Amino acid sequence: MNNLSIKNKLYIGFGSIVAIILLLLITAYNNFASLTDANRWDRHTMEVLLQLDRINSVSLQIQVDTRGYILTGSEALIGTERENAEQLKQHVAKAVQLTADNPQQNERLKRAQALLTTWADVNIRRQIEKRRALGDTKGAPEILAQSSELKEAGAIVASARELLDQAAEEERRLLAERSAKAVDLHSNQNNLLLGGGAAVFVLSLLIAYTLGRAILGPLANLTAGLARLGGGDLGARTVVTSGDELGKVSEDFNKMAQQLQDAMLREQAQTNDLRAKVDSLLDVVARAAGGDMTGKISVGGDGAIGQLGDGLQRMFDNLRQLLTNVQKAGIQVTTSATEIAASAKQQEATGVEQAQTSVEVLSTTKEISSNTSQLLKTMEDATAVADYTTSATSEAQGNLRRMDQTMQNMVNATDSINAKLAALSEKASNINSVLTTITKVADQTNILSLNAAIEAEKAGEAGRGFSVVATEIRRLADQTSVSTWDIEQMLKEMQSAVSASVMGMDKFSEEIRRSVGEVRQVTDQLSSVMDQVQKLAPQFDAVLQGMQAQAVGAQQITETMMQLNDATQQTVESLKATSEAVHQLQYAAGDLQSSVSTFAVNA
Amino acid sequence: MKVLVFHIGTDRYGLPLRQVQRVLPLLELKGIPLAPDSVAGLMNLHGTPLPVIDLSRISGKAPSRQHYDTRIVVADYTAPGGAVHALGLMAERVQGVQDVATQDLAPSGVQAAPFLGQVAGDAQGMVQLVEVNELLPAELRARLFPSEVATR
Repeated sequence: MNNLSIKNKLYIGFGSIVAIILLLLITAYNNFASLTDANRWDRHTMEVLLQLDRINSVSLQIQVDTRGYILTGSEALIGTERENAEQLKQHVAKAVQLTADNPQQNERLKRAQALLTTWADVNIRRQIEKRRALGDTKGAPEILAQSSELKEAGAIVASARELLDQAAEEERRLLAERSAKAVDLHSNQNNLLLGGGAAVFVLSLLIAYTLGRAILGPLANLTAGLARLGGGDLGARTVVTSGDELGKVSEDFNKMAQQLQDAMLREQAQTNDLRAKVDSLLDVVARAAGGDMTGKISVGGDGAIGQLGDGLQRMFDNLRQLLTNVQKAGIQVTTSATEIAASAKQQEATGVEQAQTSVEVLSTTKEISSNTSQLLKTMEDATAVADYTTSATSEAQGNLRRMDQTMQNMVNATDSINAKLAALSEKASNINSVLTTITKVADQTNILSLNAAIEAEKAGEAGRGFSVVATEIRRLADQTSVSTWDIEQMLKEMQSAVSASVMGMDKFSEEIRRSVGEVRQVTDQLSSVMDQVQKLAPQFDAVLQGMQAQAVGAQQITETMMQLNDATQQTVESLKATSEAVHQLQYAAGDLQSSVSTFAVNA
Repeated sequence: MKVLVFHIGTDRYGLPLRQVQRVLPLLELKGIPLAPDSVAGLMNLHGTPLPVIDLSRISGKAPSRQHYDTRIVVADYTAPGGAVHALGLMAERVQGVQDVATQDLAPSGVQAAPFLGQVAGDAQGMVQLVEVNELLPAELRARLFPSEVATR
């Protein structure tokens, strides 16, 4: 067992499990087949029984129909007699066919078939024909009941029934027998499945355990050995327990460990030799590291160490030369660095000064820019005011022109009023002359009336009536006089009012004329003002444009100065950086010098 | 009795209508040089020259103002000798004829001038009658009517 390979071990283990399972499956299959067969036989028996039942029922039907016909003579009852006979024959033939496997049953049924065929085709026919021949003869059923045909047919049917019953009994017996066998088979099947399953399970466990032992044991040994070797124990070995692949691996592992051990021993010897040489070299190198470059290398030979010694010797010579040069160069570098530092400081100071100057210039430029902006705003305001003034002046001019027109109209109206007043005055004069005439007439009338009164008085009684007339005339004259006087007064008042009006109108029109003159003068002055203001607007525009250009220029100057400032700042920064670098260079040069001075170059 | 009412200054006076010949408007008078102040001038009545006495002047007032109702009244002057002469009297504000009842007349009581006679009161005030025959003083009468003297 131990000498088998791992592949074979696995094949054997799993193969046996598969074989057991296959065996179990075949047995179970056989049992299932038997069970199926038993079921098929049961069904066969059932079919035979069914056919027998049908034969019985059909023959019974034929018997009943025939008997009914015999009793009643009604042809309707035997309408299906032929069909029933055919069915009977079919069912009997089927039963015979089904029992072909059982000779005894087959024989029995064949006999029954012969009997039933004869009964249906011959005996029943005869009975029906006889009854038909008898027709409606009274007592026909009794005659037939006494006939030999009926008795013969009854005997045949009875014997056939007996045969059928025997066959049914035989089938039932067979059915019981088969059922018992099927129950046996069923229990067998159960036992087989349970036992086989348990056996397979146990066997599988056993095989798995054995396989595990056979493979994992040597593997664990090998792993432990490898772990020890990995941990540095070169003496670690494993025990070879099996002849399989793992056994081979264990053997090879042991060989490898042995070789490792041998190699380690050889290497140690060489290392000791080498260390001695290296120590002597290291001694010289350590002295050199301490600054003493005067040490001599004593190791020689063709080996790597010898060559190393020669190389070191050459290197030391070169180093000595180099150090001498470095010392000289260090002094020069220090001097130069100091000079550079001084000039960098100076430059930095200049840069800072320049930055300050540019900042001042920038602030000045900004001030200029802001001033220009303010000025620009002011100029814009002034332009707006000038525009407004222009429009207002032109409006005022229009108003003045309208006023002038109105004044002219007023002068014309005044003239017309004056003319009308003159006409009025003339009319009043005319009225006055008329009044004078009226006054004169009234006066004379008065005198006339007085004289009339005197004459009437002189006439005495005869002139009494005339005296009354004279008095009336005188009163009329007096009234006329008074009215005329009133009119005259009114006329005088009117005339004085008219003359006062004329004077007032004259004064008024004179004032209007003067006003018109003044308005014209003002209009002219406004025109000249407007012209000047209109001339002012383009000048303002020119100034505005100049201002804007100036603002833009100031802005550009500001931007340029900002850039310059940035550049200066950057220059200062870089100068500072340079200064820093130079300082570092100085320090470095100092360090170099001091470092180099620690080396002793001459023995 | 009917009288012709006129004014001297502000006072009303009446000339008895029986002595009035006619009333004339104020005519253009011809001046009489060296005549007394009370003589306004000489008027021409249908070709007959007629002396005109200013009643205001003769009463010692300012001369009559030449108003539209200032008239020349032609009166019958009966000289003391009985001769009747037409005489022009310039009177201011000749208003018209007024009837004065005889029983209303009463003596004025004051004998300031010889030609001022009785007075009568009415609603408008008092009216004093003027006696034409007593109007001219002797000297003036002699000047105006020299024939009168001669005839005597």
